[in-house]
Amino acid sequence: MKSKQRALAEGQEQDAVILRYSTEELEAVTGASEAELFSFVEYQPEEAERVGHSEYSYWKSVWKSFLKKKSAVVMLIIFLTVFVFSFIAISPLCTKYSHYSELKSSRSNKFATPDSEYWFGADNIGRDYWYQVWYATRHSVMLAAIVGVGEVLVGVVMGLLWGYVRKLDRIFTEIYNIIYSVPTIIYMTLIALMIGKTFLVMCVSLIAFNWIYTAKSIRNLVFMYRDREYNLASRCLGAKLGTILTKNILPYLISVVILRMALSIPQTIGYETTLAYLGLLDVKEPALGLLLRNSREHFINYPHLLIFPAAIVSLITVTFYLAGNAFSDAADPRNHV
Amino acid sequence: MTPSRQPTRQGPANNETSMIKYTIKRLLQSLLTVFIVVTIVFLLLRLMPTDYYFTEDELIKLTDEQKEDKLRAAGLLDPTLTQLGRFYFNLLTKGDLGTSRRISNGQPVLELIGEKFGISMRMGLIALGIALLIGIPMGILQARYKNGIFDHFGTAYTIFINAVPRLVAYSLIYMLGVKVFKLPSMYSVRDPMRTSILPIVCLAVGSIASYALWMRRYMVDDLTKDYIKLAMIKGVSTRDIMFKHVMRNAFVPMAQNLPVTFLLTIGGSLLVESFFAVPGMGPLLTRAITRYDTNVVQALVLLYSGLGILGMFLGDLLMSLFDPRIRLAGKGGETR
Repeated sequence: MKSKQRALAEGQEQDAVILRYSTEELEAVTGASEAELFSFVEYQPEEAERVGHSEYSYWKSVWKSFLKKKSAVVMLIIFLTVFVFSFIAISPLCTKYSHYSELKSSRSNKFATPDSEYWFGADNIGRDYWYQVWYATRHSVMLAAIVGVGEVLVGVVMGLLWGYVRKLDRIFTEIYNIIYSVPTIIYMTLIALMIGKTFLVMCVSLIAFNWIYTAKSIRNLVFMYRDREYNLASRCLGAKLGTILTKNILPYLISVVILRMALSIPQTIGYETTLAYLGLLDVKEPALGLLLRNSREHFINYPHLLIFPAAIVSLITVTFYLAGNAFSDAADPRNHV
Repeated sequence: MTPSRQPTRQGPANNETSMIKYTIKRLLQSLLTVFIVVTIVFLLLRLMPTDYYFTEDELIKLTDEQKEDKLRAAGLLDPTLTQLGRFYFNLLTKGDLGTSRRISNGQPVLELIGEKFGISMRMGLIALGIALLIGIPMGILQARYKNGIFDHFGTAYTIFINAVPRLVAYSLIYMLGVKVFKLPSMYSVRDPMRTSILPIVCLAVGSIASYALWMRRYMVDDLTKDYIKLAMIKGVSTRDIMFKHVMRNAFVPMAQNLPVTFLLTIGGSLLVESFFAVPGMGPLLTRAITRYDTNVVQALVLLYSGLGILGMFLGDLLMSLFDPRIRLAGKGGETR
């Protein structure tokens, strides 16, 4: 202790000595003008290494290691192209219809195979399949995106509370059991029949039954960090609940949050196809699931009815599955070099 | 036995009593959950208009007064809570779940379910068996020859199955089965052997992927642990490390989900069974809901939630049997 204090005192003395020089004297000693002496030093990696400072930036590293996953990046680019194209495909550039309700059935075009007029052929009542497929693509992606974001938002907030506030554990565990122990499809069917099958109802009920899984995984992570020393210190210093949750714990959870969001997209589309298959989707607003269901009776003889929607659905879901996993790997600082 | 598998130092007698206590506590909690679920569904169903209590024929023929008389006689105009009380009273004293009204008029619900669940369960169990027999060795091989061709192939398979909606996968299997292998496309009671092939394949395809995925992941995780390094340094052969250490440890987390999967085979698969028109439990549920057959819905919800919760509980027990380090009872008593 003693020697440390002495060293400190000596240091202060030296500072004092330096301060005693005037600017003119300094210029005389070093031979450089004042402006030169007090200019910023440029960043030099070699020097930085010597001093122990690095230019590490979290998000830059995340981005860099994400780009290394070639398959995910390629799929993401293809998906974005297809998604943007879905807007072009149903614009007047490519089609003569301006709304889904304008599609007309015609007996002569029944099951038309893809040709120059019907690019994707026609369905069992002779409606243009091209317009239906792209319309449905947009619809499905929108549903999945809304549900993904909503589910994760609710799930994260609830999960943080569930994990951090001990008193709430009982209640949340009971809710989890109630939702988990009965197949979601039962609840979904009841809701579809009692309240309705509209887009909004679908979104809300999908969020209402899926947030709990995000919340559960967040809760387990919060458990790990809740009683670490730095949180105890925060609590002792009087940090509020909200501050601890958002500033101390949430940053640890980013990779999980993004993974959940990405994975909920294939999951939602999966639900949507199942619901459509069971006849619980709004028929007036076609989603890809609905097209898949409608093709069920005929695709053995007219494979084009299955192939187009199936290919697009698979593209979307595989992309988000791969990209989600790649991103969560990239977001884990342990994988950064 | 692996070095890390020393039993806990707690005395056996002490452990046993706390285990029994824990079991009883868990069972009571489970009962409470089932009770809440069934009550919620019961109350939801009472929100529906009373027209749905009649068959289509009756709706046309009966006058409004006759309808009301019938409803009153069946006790359906009583306050909802009285109905709820009666439902639980009949269930607990007589094991009676009421009769089906619209799916098959007048037939006791239990009888109706009894007819169906055999078909679902037989298919489910065969599919589960196949999935275990293929999925687990697949996962083991993938972990053993990590980053080999087989591993990449297996990973591609699991990604495809997990990411692509089941309906698409089933459609592809259906197309392949019908066009290439000339298999019958619809289930028929007259020829259950051949017509069951495609539904069973569809049921198994998903489970194979998830067993392989988890088995591989747990084994790969375990392979980097210190005790494996020690075993390698001591000169234990790769085969012994794989089979005696890594694989056994990887089975522990797998054990947790097995009972629930096993029990829920009774419930059948909604999608597969509707897709191939199998007269099993899956379609019964949607049919009961879409046709508003309240008694059947209640019974099915009771069955599903009961099985699900029982399965979760058995899974925890099985896991603690496999791995003595996992103690369900004891301090805190919460492992989930």
